[in-house]
Amino acid sequence: MIGGCARATTAAEAKFRIDAPNSQPRNVKVIALDARSERVAKHLAARQWSRAAFFTASAFTTPRDAQKFSIDGWLKDLAGRTKNLVDEIATADLVVMIAAAGENAPAAAIIGEACGVKHVMTTVLVLGSDNTSDEALAKSLAQLRPYAMMLVIANGDEYIEDMLTALRA
Amino acid sequence: MLRAQQNELLTQTGPGTPMGQLFRSYWLPALLAEELPENECPPVRVKLLSERLLAFRDTDGRYGLIDEFCAHRGVSLWFGRNEQSGLRCPYHGWKYDVTGQCIEVPSEPVESGFCRKIRLKSYPLVLRGGVLWTYMGPPDKQPPLPEWEFALVPSEQSFMSKRWQDCNWLQALEGGIDSSHVSFLHRSDLNSDPLFKGAKGNQYNLSDAQPYFEVVESPGGLYIGARRNAENGNYYWRITQWVMPSFTMIPPRGDHPVHGHFWIPADDENCWTWSFDYRPNRALTDKELQAMRDGQGIHAKCIPGTFYPIANKDNDYLMDRAAQKAGKTYSGVEGFAMQDASLQESMGPIVDRTKENLVSTDNGIIMARHRLMRAAKALAEKDLVPPGVDPAHQRVRSASVILPPDQPFKDAAREHLKVRPDAVHASV
Repeated sequence: MIGGCARATTAAEAKFRIDAPNSQPRNVKVIALDARSERVAKHLAARQWSRAAFFTASAFTTPRDAQKFSIDGWLKDLAGRTKNLVDEIATADLVVMIAAAGENAPAAAIIGEACGVKHVMTTVLVLGSDNTSDEALAKSLAQLRPYAMMLVIANGDEYIEDMLTALRA
Repeated sequence: MLRAQQNELLTQTGPGTPMGQLFRSYWLPALLAEELPENECPPVRVKLLSERLLAFRDTDGRYGLIDEFCAHRGVSLWFGRNEQSGLRCPYHGWKYDVTGQCIEVPSEPVESGFCRKIRLKSYPLVLRGGVLWTYMGPPDKQPPLPEWEFALVPSEQSFMSKRWQDCNWLQALEGGIDSSHVSFLHRSDLNSDPLFKGAKGNQYNLSDAQPYFEVVESPGGLYIGARRNAENGNYYWRITQWVMPSFTMIPPRGDHPVHGHFWIPADDENCWTWSFDYRPNRALTDKELQAMRDGQGIHAKCIPGTFYPIANKDNDYLMDRAAQKAGKTYSGVEGFAMQDASLQESMGPIVDRTKENLVSTDNGIIMARHRLMRAAKALAEKDLVPPGVDPAHQRVRSASVILPPDQPFKDAAREHLKVRPDAVHASV
């Protein structure tokens, strides 16, 4: 007597798998945290995506006077239009932050905190290279790790495109 | 998600395919040494990378891996007579040596030299660490012999098993680098399996089902780190090694032996799951060896005389719904190996990845696919040797460690992630 699993797992049976969408498009917000990452984001944004939107926080600097800090005004889309971080995160299923190893990325904390409040998953992609020093990487990790539920250190920029495609962005 | 074309690229490993070329760059485990236990023992059928082969050990102890079928009329040489330094086809007496060279065609005059015109395709077969390894690529590109630590330690320190798995190699491999499933599928076994239980790390695992992950490229593949909170603000890290194309080493637990797998395509719809356990510094105990032979830990109990698991798809993996309900097993299937295999096989022979919905924590899988595709392309277009071929890439270890919160695990655990002869694995 052949078990149900044996019958169910044949190639012939695989043809009967229902051919209907099993998910809805995800809103993925990709935020570049520094100038190198912004260049990568611009390159990516030129491609066809389902629901991916690209932003830059490369202009963000830690305010000298915390009293004057505003949540508004520093997040921009790639055309340079100012965007509201909270509004963008509120409509996100996933926030992907891109950072070049060794670069300062103070915006990660603000974005990460906001994602935490809104219960939005965060992924941080650290762009390294074969020449990235341990110190540079450690500096980035110390800054980014607290806000990354998933952190990837990739040696090449091209990984991001594969990742976003795999995540149906 | 993968596009259909990408899925085909990654899952097809027959001759002439890009991924087949990639696999043919490496030394691959082909047989356990015990399958050819003595000179002139019976030959063994082997299917690798969609090629039907036959392994035999001749009168002089030489190993051969040759085309399974006689060049004359296509008879399977599995029926052959292993005698006097060759394998003789029982149909008309054609005889072959371990290189596949025909050395006798009885119907033809010896003086004609006809037999020299007949040669079966063959591959080298080399014994190392209780495993017979083969290299199926171009002879002029044959790499140095493999240097996996488990294969280099004295034989009493290492144990290897293999089993047949009814699915494509990639979905089996992806199970091996998907660290997040352990807290669910295997949770009931962490504290009961004799090769897992008692480790402090198990408690970190069981108390935190939502670890944070970090994926870092390594020279040969990937480091996949899963971190959970430990005491005093530190992190408990489990660092899995993936070395291309299909080697994984699972982070150790407590004082248990270290283990891992190879997934080697038999054809596009089946693979061989190889499972090893070893200690770098001392012999495995009788108790540990018995547990491994009994199919515990990452090994599986097979039908005697075969490499087909006793719990298999023909008997619904001996599914026990009562045990599932009672929490004795999480899925109702017993044992790590078949818990994994049952679910991987349930996807069908080759899972349709156009329908999947990966999430962020699947970045290990996404990165592995990315690296495999990149390497296959570089090999096909630029003839670049893929990562993992260099023996230096094979001298690696997995680790489980407690680290301060601000350190990159690959640097903080650098010494623990490479082979240090006689030093124990870093394990919690």
